[in-house]
Amino acid sequence: MTKIACVGRVLATIIFATINPAAAHHVGSYVPRDNAVTTNFKQVKFSVQAKKFDVALQLFEGGALRAEMRAKAATLPPGLEDGTRAALKASDGAEVERRLMLFFAALARDLAREADRHLADAAAEARAATGRKFLEAIWRYYNLVDFAVSVRDNKTSVAVRLAFDEAETYVKPTAAAASVDASRLRQPFQRIANVLSTLVEASSTQARRDS
Amino acid sequence: MSAVDPPAWRLPPRWVLLVGVLSIVCAEVGGASMARFKLELARWARGAMLAHPSVHGLVGVRDVDERILDEALVKFDAGLRLFHMHAEGMGLVVIATATVAATLARPGAARRVIIALLTVGGAGYPVGYLVWSALIPSQGLDAAKTIAEWLVWIPFGSAAIVALWWLAGLTALRMIKP
Repeated sequence: MTKIACVGRVLATIIFATINPAAAHHVGSYVPRDNAVTTNFKQVKFSVQAKKFDVALQLFEGGALRAEMRAKAATLPPGLEDGTRAALKASDGAEVERRLMLFFAALARDLAREADRHLADAAAEARAATGRKFLEAIWRYYNLVDFAVSVRDNKTSVAVRLAFDEAETYVKPTAAAASVDASRLRQPFQRIANVLSTLVEASSTQARRDS
Repeated sequence: MSAVDPPAWRLPPRWVLLVGVLSIVCAEVGGASMARFKLELARWARGAMLAHPSVHGLVGVRDVDERILDEALVKFDAGLRLFHMHAEGMGLVVIATATVAATLARPGAARRVIIALLTVGGAGYPVGYLVWSALIPSQGLDAAKTIAEWLVWIPFGSAAIVALWWLAGLTALRMIKP
């Protein structure tokens, strides 16, 4: 090996051993946190599971869950708030779970519809990132009630999960995701919205018939 | 000094000590300010992020945007914390390593270069965290990181690493040839 080659190798090693660690600085990590609505949901759910219905009712009355039900009353099944309160007062755990399932399914449905609207207008380079953000938001709500949905309507649960998986493949941060066309990316969101819409409407109709 | 006595420690130049101590002072002031102005800083950062919605990819839907803002605010806060920790630690590293260099390296250009690289690299590197934090609200997470990397972390971090390797080699050499 010539002297120049040897010096070159030593320099390359020094640069490799210097730049690599220098570029690998610690910048912390982020773990998504619960928001006020999901936190309150978990409080109510765990109180109901422990059969502490008086505690659950208190948490519901003063919590973000009820405030959100009121704020979104226009798009939610009629009487959802009153029905949830009545179920809590009657110590009916299954009905509380069903009402809360409807609430989160409706929130996820509305987000899927919103995503569809946004993706229709989004620029090609921002499409995958926008889709990814909406998927995260939808999943944050839907995953809270997926078990309750699967127990009552397994087909809906499977359909939502399949649509979700399909959307995830389109929004992965890869070169292929950057070129995915809007109509293709919108399809799984439309399916999520339709399936959850059917679930919400069917369950609301059922509840009205039962009452 | 008898033949068995270890060599006495030599102090590095005063300006090096001053830089090391100033780094620790800045770390302490930064840490205290972070605690004292936590709310004001968070409010300012949130306001600046909302003023640059496209930079952060905000879509105008609360359920989507709140997570994006939360992540940016957590990273903004992490940058300030990491500045506090690194400036504190690097101040001590500068003083300790410059003292080793002043003691073991023979007087001359090599010693001056090692001490200069250790001091500038060690004191400059933590500033990258402040730059990163300050740029997050206006530039977004990724762009702010890239700017801090190329402006501060890589040049100053490389300087410190090169100097530390050099010092390590020199220390090993002094073991063989005291």
